[in-house]
Amino acid sequence: MNEFVERQMKLTWRPPKKSYDVVIVGAGGHGLATAYYLATRHGMSNVAVFERGYIGGGNSGRNTTIIRANYGIPAAVRFYQRSVDLYRGLEEETDRWLMHQQKGILWMAHSEAAVRAERMRAKLNTEFGAETEFVGPQQVHELCPQLDMSGGGRWPVLGASYHPQGATARHDRVVWALAEGAMQRGAHVHQNTPVEGLILDGERVAGVRTAAGDVAAGAVVSAVGGHVSRIAAMAGLRLPIRTHRLQAFVTNHYRQQFGPIVASSELFFYASQTARGEMLLGAEIDPQPSFSYRSSHDFVQDVCRRALCLLPFMSNLRVLRQWTGVCDMSPDYSPIMGQTGVPGFYLTTGWGTWGFKAIPAGGEQMAELIATGEVPELIAPFGLDRFARDRTMADRGSAGTH
Amino acid sequence: MATLLVDGQRVEARAGDSLLVAMLRTGVHPIGGGCLCMGGDCPNCLVTVDGVAYTRSCQVPARDGMVVRREHLGGEEPALLSDEPTSAGDAAPVRHVHCDTVVIGQGDSGREVAREARDAGLDVVTLDARDGQQVTGVYPGPLVVAADRAGRVLHVHPRREIVVATGAAEIQPIVPGSDLEGLVTARAAAELVAAGIDLGRAVAVGERPAGLPGDALVAHFPVGEGGWELVRFEGDGRIEAVIVRRHGDAGTTEERIECNTAVLGLGRNPCNALARMASDLPVRVVGSAAMEPELPPCPGDGTVCPCSGVTVADLDGVWERGFHEMELLKRATLAGTGTCQGGVCLPYLRSFLLQRGGRLQPAFTARPLNRQLTVRELAAGAHTAVTARSPLHDEHLSLGARMDRAGGWWRPWTYDRKDDEYRSVRERVSLGDVSSLGKMAISGPDAEAFLERIVPTRVATIRPGRCRYVLMLDERGYLLDDGMLCREADQDAGDRFFLTSTSGGSGFFELWLRDWVEAFSCDVRILNQTASLAAINVTGPLAARLLARAGARELPAFGRHRQARIAGVDCRVVRLSFTGELSYELHHPAADARTLWRRLLAAGAGFNVQPHGLETLLRLRLEKGHIVIGHDTDYDSTPRRLAHEWAVNLNKGDFVGRQAILRTNKQPLDKRLVTLLTDDPPPRETVEGPSAEGAAIHDGERYAGYVTSDAGTTAGGGAPMLGWLYLDAEGSLPREVTVDGRTARRVDGPTYDPEGERARAAVDIASESPQNVREFPVARPEATDLTAEAPAEPPRLRRLEATRVSATPKALDALVEQPPWPAGALAFRIAPDELLVTATPDLEVAGDPHAIVERETAFSYVWLDEAKAERFLERECEWRRPDARPAFAQGEVAGIPAKLWFEAWRTLVLTPAPFAAAFQRRLTRSLEEPDGDDA
Amino acid sequence: MSLRIPCPTCGGRSVHEFVHGEIRRVPDHLTDPDERDLDFAFHHDNEEGIVTERWFHAQGCRRWFEIRRDTTTDRIVEAGES
Repeated sequence: MNEFVERQMKLTWRPPKKSYDVVIVGAGGHGLATAYYLATRHGMSNVAVFERGYIGGGNSGRNTTIIRANYGIPAAVRFYQRSVDLYRGLEEETDRWLMHQQKGILWMAHSEAAVRAERMRAKLNTEFGAETEFVGPQQVHELCPQLDMSGGGRWPVLGASYHPQGATARHDRVVWALAEGAMQRGAHVHQNTPVEGLILDGERVAGVRTAAGDVAAGAVVSAVGGHVSRIAAMAGLRLPIRTHRLQAFVTNHYRQQFGPIVASSELFFYASQTARGEMLLGAEIDPQPSFSYRSSHDFVQDVCRRALCLLPFMSNLRVLRQWTGVCDMSPDYSPIMGQTGVPGFYLTTGWGTWGFKAIPAGGEQMAELIATGEVPELIAPFGLDRFARDRTMADRGSAGTH
Repeated sequence: MATLLVDGQRVEARAGDSLLVAMLRTGVHPIGGGCLCMGGDCPNCLVTVDGVAYTRSCQVPARDGMVVRREHLGGEEPALLSDEPTSAGDAAPVRHVHCDTVVIGQGDSGREVAREARDAGLDVVTLDARDGQQVTGVYPGPLVVAADRAGRVLHVHPRREIVVATGAAEIQPIVPGSDLEGLVTARAAAELVAAGIDLGRAVAVGERPAGLPGDALVAHFPVGEGGWELVRFEGDGRIEAVIVRRHGDAGTTEERIECNTAVLGLGRNPCNALARMASDLPVRVVGSAAMEPELPPCPGDGTVCPCSGVTVADLDGVWERGFHEMELLKRATLAGTGTCQGGVCLPYLRSFLLQRGGRLQPAFTARPLNRQLTVRELAAGAHTAVTARSPLHDEHLSLGARMDRAGGWWRPWTYDRKDDEYRSVRERVSLGDVSSLGKMAISGPDAEAFLERIVPTRVATIRPGRCRYVLMLDERGYLLDDGMLCREADQDAGDRFFLTSTSGGSGFFELWLRDWVEAFSCDVRILNQTASLAAINVTGPLAARLLARAGARELPAFGRHRQARIAGVDCRVVRLSFTGELSYELHHPAADARTLWRRLLAAGAGFNVQPHGLETLLRLRLEKGHIVIGHDTDYDSTPRRLAHEWAVNLNKGDFVGRQAILRTNKQPLDKRLVTLLTDDPPPRETVEGPSAEGAAIHDGERYAGYVTSDAGTTAGGGAPMLGWLYLDAEGSLPREVTVDGRTARRVDGPTYDPEGERARAAVDIASESPQNVREFPVARPEATDLTAEAPAEPPRLRRLEATRVSATPKALDALVEQPPWPAGALAFRIAPDELLVTATPDLEVAGDPHAIVERETAFSYVWLDEAKAERFLERECEWRRPDARPAFAQGEVAGIPAKLWFEAWRTLVLTPAPFAAAFQRRLTRSLEEPDGDDA
Repeated sequence: MSLRIPCPTCGGRSVHEFVHGEIRRVPDHLTDPDERDLDFAFHHDNEEGIVTERWFHAQGCRRWFEIRRDTTTDRIVEAGES
């Protein structure tokens, strides 16, 4: 028997209505979490999520499932720590097995400059509630005995920042649990129903044009990944967003246990072991904008080359499968959440390579904003207007590779 | 005859046996049961071969000495104790193959296409699984990646077309008992019989197998319309009987036939994954790979996905709970995510969804890898990023330096004499290697106008022979880099400038400048001299006296630069200061760096001159409050936030970032980079390294920012720090804050020598009596005579002595047309407006008065004979080389930028000297790698 | 190898040898200098389809050039092709 077959969740599909209080565009993690928290925290269930394909088919189903809060600026650390906390309670809250596993993340340094950066990361994160400590080579070795501490003789591990709350969860199950929870409380999710336009009432966004007809809405939230610039343009907005490919791959089952998530900013990759025992590797985005889901050989080639420096035990593991997602990158490597200046139109975007870990907090905060009309303090710094206000949320270093 | 070990038991294989056949010969099923296809399309023959798990035993020839295990070890034991470079991390060897057409699959249709293409005069490469070539994917490029049986990885680069002729896979049985031993597909049965393996009592279900002798079958049950339906297999581990049934007018007939082998011909599905993963590349699918998929009946019971162990009941379960899309069905059960990538289950998933939902859904996306190569095979041909070496690298090592990667360069971090390194700068004189600084020569009619547009200082007021610290901003008004801008003293050839960047910014520097040159349509010449010039910072109160002892007769005043011969080496001497002491930066040809460094150390021996490393430099500059780009600065660092408004002139014309500064200045200031000074000792035992970096700054209870730089207590007493401090609610910066529980006060200006008297000190070198001034032999370059050299054995890279010219394309055309250099010199056109020539730099560029002509020693070269060049480039050059001879080409080779000059019988390889050591290592390894002929 | 970028000086090379550059266009309807500057500094067309863009051949001639590429497929549009 395959223990990974989903045996709990039930998805209930209903025909679309002509009007909803809230229409969410995009049934990925963020869209569904917004619907979920609107229903569970604010009793709002006259809500529909429109999805052009199937639920969780975009980046929610293509990411590397890492959950962590060790970011580089106070506002981000607080926000992601909220997400880490929500994730930890999500299995109990939804009564679903999401394969959530706290395993800790080691962010390794191979140079003095990187040692300084990791020390700084540890201090800043701990200050804002995301416990992180700098650990020396001996502790790194104890936490992850598979690491070649000499880095193949070229990339020695001089230390690492260690964030014990780093975790992983099964991406698809998170999406389904949120969908199920929203559906159970009356929210609608419509698959295979692309949103083709926005209905404008003067300045205000008053609904969406879908493949299944016009739908009126009190509020419209764009939670799409990959095509957000197009949706925003329908509301007359230009966004500080560029879309780039991000690739990843898994190997066949590795029989031993590989404990933590390991990352290296200098070698540009990170690795963890899935619940099925596969080694999962990711790296940085492709530098040029692209919407193509095509995987490239140089990605798997380069990441394998770099991974071998630190994880030579992987040498004879076979790579099973590689895939690609597209990431909406903001100029300051932080998300963009909240109001847009266009009445009735909300955005949650700029999720770059860090969208999965933010799903619960992003959904919770967006739901609070929509339900109360007030911008929650936790996401106030992440508004779209920050660029005009010269209050960018620069977090390049910690956005790093994932 | 080959002998292998399978789970510790000896197995004898016959010539031509695959590993699977060898095992079956001795009655061993590789995984204990499941229908075997022998085409690489199912997961039922996966074993661990020589430590490599999930190996398709049907695709691997049996080899003497093979160690096979019928469980998946999944990787080797971890290498725990390695302090030495190990070979465990090595990649497999690669071969780059360029052709017109690649044909994947050499069945009838594949052979036919290959023959036609060859007849049409095309260069054709064929890949076939039966020759041990496992094609893992078709990628953009276009690129076809395959492993061959010798353990090499082939990267095939077709110019015209990829032909997929991979045939069709046989549909596997999905009924109860399909995991028993003794099931084979029709095609596999024929192969086994041909190999002389006795099938015993064999029963065929479905299409009658071809190639079987007439008496090989005891029964045959056609399936499909009006025919039989496969119900189940019975047996205990091994098949004992096949159960089939037929619905007729007289009701349902069920038959049970006892057998030793069931031969299954249940239909075929095209093997077109390689084509589907390359849909927008020039791909053609031929033969049965192009057939329409056949849909098997909806499975009733049994395991539908043997890779992931998914049953029909599992499919039903998720269907009932609302998972109706193909992708959701796959994700909810994990069917199709194993080694065969849906080879077995996909047809059944489609028929299941059609039956349940009434809609035929497309196959799930074809993703690489079609054949799962190992990590070391996939890494073939890749290299990790190279770290540049200063020309003084070996000098640092011999002085005991610990080298560290910083900003893409190896830098001496410390010579393990930290206190003395510091004191030698503050009290005596010290040398620092700053060769990694970005360095750019800029000339042309628009040189000044161009620079006015890219730096925020007023360039017009930099007089000839002067230099100034400059910021470089991006279009958002954020600090990108900093450096110094020198206007040449000699104005004969028009306006000319020398601009530096930080080491970390040197890789970005040129592309940034050239981008704006084009954006502003400026008529300028740019020559990147980052690697061409080494730079040594002579710093400390005795710096001038040391230089005098090294032969300097005149030294520039603060804020000025001049050409001078120091210790026999021609230098640009620049007087600014980063350390806070009297400092002279000596920029000189890279080839002379070692000479100069050694002579300076010798000349300063009487002053006990010591080199200082980067760690000490970071501490020295912190006492002066100098920022380090990328460490103290952040993405949003405007000059205002950095308290560097003094370096910005908003009253001159437009420059990059000016409008952004005007715009952001309208917003209230939120934070500022400040110097904090604390007299309190660190609160805890300090570990090695700066302790407060990253620590939060508090203003009472309020979080008020964080520390970016801290070097601990310094000679002056207190510990200065740099940090971001947020303004309080009243919009002002607090004067006193706490850091790590310590009280710190904000100070304006540097904590060391606040008036800058030491850096600006008046200098009198007359006191160095003439008898102390030594005469050093002068380094006189002679251009390398490349034509006279024969390829050396073994090939060794050497520094090239040449000249580089930046001039208008027209002027260079004219120059090349009637070359003023000797006949034997070689000239390479690096770009339309840039030339590298193996001649001395005294040449005139008649057509361009603004041409920059400079001695160039930043390249290393080696001649390779034809065989070695071919051998090396086949392994390390992925791009297509020119066919003509002679020819020049440039691009990445062995992961390093290279320039190649192809002559009839030999090839010249040039690479930037900072990468020469890495290039040499890769060249040697490549030439020494065994050929790996087919075993 | 992956995406192959055609350098007019050096020929086709792997995308790894290049640095990507964007050609930014500020919409004409923006007239206020600060608004135009903000748009130039931060906003992108992020077009799905054929875009004209710049590449710098860092590992070869070290010069910028322009090409057209379809961002939905990464296909390079040949000169003369529309």
